Parts: sequence; C-alpha cells; structure tokens
Amino acid sequence: MSNGVSIHTDKRATSRDLHNTRRYMPFVAPAMVVMVLLVAVPFIAVVLLSFTNYELAMPADSFKWIGLRNYDRLLFGTNKLLYYSLGISVGMMVVATVLQMLIGFFCASLLNRDIKFRGLAIACLLVPIAMTPSIASQIWKLMLNAEFGVINYFLKKLFNFSVVWLDKDNSLPSVLLVNIWSMTPYVTLTLYAGLRSLPLEPYESAVIDGANGRQVLMYVTLPMLKPLILLTLLFRSIDMLKMFDVPYVLTQGGPGNITEFIGLHIYRTGFGVTTLVGRASAISVILIVLVGIISLGMIKLMSSEEKG
Amino acid sequence: MRAEEIRARRRLMASRGAKQTFTYVGIILMSIWAVFPLFWMIIISLKERIYTYDPSVWIFQPVFENYVSVFAEKNLGKFLINSAIVSLSTTFLALFFGTLAAYGFSRFKVKRMRGLMFFLLAVRMIPSVAIVIPIFVIARFGSMLDTRLLLIITYMIFNIPFTVWMMKGFFDEIPKELEEAAKVDGCTTLQTLYKIVLPVVQPGLIATSIFCIISSWNEFVYALFLTSIKSVTTPTIVQMFLSIQGVAWGEMSAVGTVSIMPVLLFAMIVQKNMVRGLSFGAVKG
Repeated sequence: MSNGVSIHTDKRATSRDLHNTRRYMPFVAPAMVVMVLLVAVPFIAVVLLSFTNYELAMPADSFKWIGLRNYDRLLFGTNKLLYYSLGISVGMMVVATVLQMLIGFFCASLLNRDIKFRGLAIACLLVPIAMTPSIASQIWKLMLNAEFGVINYFLKKLFNFSVVWLDKDNSLPSVLLVNIWSMTPYVTLTLYAGLRSLPLEPYESAVIDGANGRQVLMYVTLPMLKPLILLTLLFRSIDMLKMFDVPYVLTQGGPGNITEFIGLHIYRTGFGVTTLVGRASAISVILIVLVGIISLGMIKLMSSEEKG
Repeated sequence: MRAEEIRARRRLMASRGAKQTFTYVGIILMSIWAVFPLFWMIIISLKERIYTYDPSVWIFQPVFENYVSVFAEKNLGKFLINSAIVSLSTTFLALFFGTLAAYGFSRFKVKRMRGLMFFLLAVRMIPSVAIVIPIFVIARFGSMLDTRLLLIITYMIFNIPFTVWMMKGFFDEIPKELEEAAKVDGCTTLQTLYKIVLPVVQPGLIATSIFCIISSWNEFVYALFLTSIKSVTTPTIVQMFLSIQGVAWGEMSAVGTVSIMPVLLFAMIVQKNMVRGLSFGAVKG
C-alpha cells in the first residue's frame, strides 16, 4: 500500500463505500428485519414463559410469575430426568457424530477412488437424505420389529439369532443405528466433495518423497480437509442434539424414559405426559444455552484453525 | 532378476485387484444399506395385507389396495396439498427476502457483515423444538394455530438463513464487470439485479429453492406442534400410525412412498449442488 496507485484506489474505494452505505439497506434490511422478528419474539417469549407456571389448559390471564422456581425444580429437584435427558443427548451426540464422521470419511474415500457407477452410488446415498425422517423412522420401526421385522429375519437366516431391538437394553443403540443410517450420507457427500476439490500437487510431492498411504492420509489429506471436517462436525453435532423425529416415532421416549432425549423431554413435559408449558420453556432455555455453548466453542476452534 | 521383477509386478497387480474388489464390495454394501428402507417400504406398500407381517415373502402379486385406501380413507390428498402449499409459499418468500439480502451482502460493504452472517448461522443452530413452544403460545393467543400461514411464516426461520448463505456464494462467483457494464448503460441496481444478475445465477436459484422445498416438505417438529386438523402436512401423518397394536403398515408405507417421490426426484435434479446445500453453502459443490 506504499505506492501512489494503491492509495488512489483506496480513496476511490472509501468514497464508493460511503455511497454504498446508503444503498445496501433496501437489499439487506427486509430479510434481517424478518429474521430478527421471527427469532427474537419467540426467544424473548420462551425466556418469559420459563418464569411462569403456565399450563396448556390455562386461560390467557391466569398464569403466575414464579421467578426461578421452574429452574430450581429442574436443576435441584428430586426428579433427575433433566440430567438423564441431557446426559443421553450429549452422549448420543458424541457417539453418533464420531461414528458418522468415521464411516462417512471411509465411504467418501471409497467414492473418491477410480470406480465405475459412482453416480449410481451417490444417487443411492441421496435416499436417506430425501426420505421424510418421521416416515423413515416408522419404516425402521417395522424393520426392527422383533417378531416380523426384516432385520431379524436376515439375522436368523444368516447367523441364527435375533435381537429384541426396541426393548430397554437395545432401544438406545437402535436410535443410534437409525441416526447413522439417516445422517451419515450427509457426511459422506460433503467430505467426498471436499476430497474432489483438493489440489493434486501435494499428493505428487508426497509420492516423490516416498510417503506411504497412511502418511499421505495423516500429513496431506487430513490437514487440507480440516476446515471442512470441523464444519461438518459442527453441523452434525448440533443436529444430533436437536434430534426429535427419530426417537419420537421409533420409541416415543420409551420404554419408560430410556430414550427420552432432551427434545422429547421438552415435548413430554409441555404437551405429552404433563402439560407444564412453563417448565418445558425452562428446559428449552437450557437447551438453547447448551447449543450456544457447544457451537460457540466449535466456531472458536474453527476460526483459530483458520488463522493458523 | 527378470523373474523376480515379474513376480513383484504380479504381486502388485494382485494387491491392486484385491484393493479394487474391496472398494466395490464397500460401495455395494453402502448403497444397499442406504437404499434398503426405501426398497422395503415400497415392497410393503405393494403387498397384500396378509403378507405384511411375513418378511420371508419377497415375490408376490403386487396390489394397490394400500394406495387406494390412503387416499380414500386417510385423506392423504389433504396432507399432500397442505405440504405443497406450505413448501412452495415459504420457499418463494425465503427466496425473495434471502436473495435480496445475499445480493446486498455480496455486492456492498455492509456494516457488521460478519456479525450478521454469523447471526444467520446461529439461527441455523437453534433447535426448533426449543422455540416451538413460545410460537405455539403466541399463535394460540393470535388464533393462528392450525393455519397454513403459520407454518409458512415459521418455516422462514430456517429457509431465509439458508437462502442467504447459499445465494451469497453464488453471487460471489459472478464477476462484477458484468454489472458495471449494465450500470454504464443506465440501469439502476435493482434493474441490474433483476435483468442481468438473476438470469446468470439461475442454477443457484433452482438449487436453493429445491433445498428449501425439501426441508419444508420433510419438516416435522413445527408441523407436529402447530397443526392439528386443517393444515396438517405429510410428515405428521405418522401420528395416525403410532399405535402399537394394528399399525396399518401397508398404508403407512404407501404414504411414505407417495411422499418421497417428489423429493427424491428433486434431490436427483440438484445432485450437483447437493453438497453446497448440505454444508450451508460453505463448500462449492
């Protein structure tokens, strides 16, 4: 920026920017106003509701402000279901995300090899993405049925044993299984596209230096793919924490409360087993805070990676 | 020396062959695993009711009684029409607001742009199940529950941020010279956008809108909480089939098969842009 030409262009740029400040508003403002309204209004309302004893059947004006009592009950009460729900949700988030990433990366590297019918394989991967999750979960419920499910039919035929998939011991792994089916293709396709977009030169020099396959993966592929891997990790983790459709249809939180993930816990508290909308709002606020902490942490990690 | 060389080459070929077999076996298993539930759903939907509970029956005379019955008895038509109206309307609105904003972000030095884009990314992270309760309560007091309009508005929460991120990526790829030429010819910015830029980003618009349609078509949480009778959408039809006893699996599968077809078709169309959509526009597909 030391020569005269660039100073000149800088000046022109700033004068144009001043001009622009008045002109971008009609483009950006409508969407931003809509978004702020659509997000801020429910957001403020959920915080306010969490301080009330509002129930579904109550008339509009009869609820009371009860301060922090909902939070007190949830966090320090005798019923520890909130902690259980948070525990299995975070546990599912970690296990499912790690498995999805590993399987997804493996499948992506298979797709990236020199193969025929790649288009067909990708088309197959689109099926879990396109299928309505609630309906797909219902089909999985039939396939996992202990007596007349097709999965047990195969297991009996091939290995001569069967599993009661949706009982109290196996329902969490079953939810995991369906999640892996429905979410791994997202990872596979994203990482596959990432692999395709990598430059070839580093690979050529790695081969010249005599690196083996594992070394190429560790020191060439993974470092170059890191930003994309972190982004995928962020989206997958948060989506797992938000998970609702799959357990709602597959197990309805049961047997008992075994698969009552945090989303279902909100539903069951506010609309299902009880109708304590106030308390369900408090759980919602806790979930939003948790999602905020996790995504902020991961975004920090990503931007520190970006800087070097 | 020569014999050894040939042997080494043979070993290399053999290991290459083994590797290729391994790759194809992996790809085939992956594809079957991904497609099997769809395949099974179609099979069940075409079976006679007596065979529904018998997974060993694979070859049979297909019947369409389930399809007839879901339209005649379960009123699937109403669900599909609601889904179509909601998905198309919310997509249109999101595209209108989102494309304008994306163009603004791409072409002007917007104050606090990073912050605003980050805000939209943060909205992508908000769990719908965590803000659906206040929306329900507000809609209840406003007598908006069980209306398609409520769903159309609510779905903009996830469709607008998505559109902005996607379309900004597409706009960023267009050289500015194109518009500068138009401005020299005396077009206003809005005219330039409408006449010059939008035709160029048409593939992006199509990909984005199909993505919005797919995610609205499949959306479950808002639809479950906010609709009951009049404006129910297809994903919530599972509610009718949740009872453990006597689930009409054949009908359920017929519903699923009808419902996935438009989406699957759309997904195939945007296959090239799929990745871009999956990663919120961050990766150029």
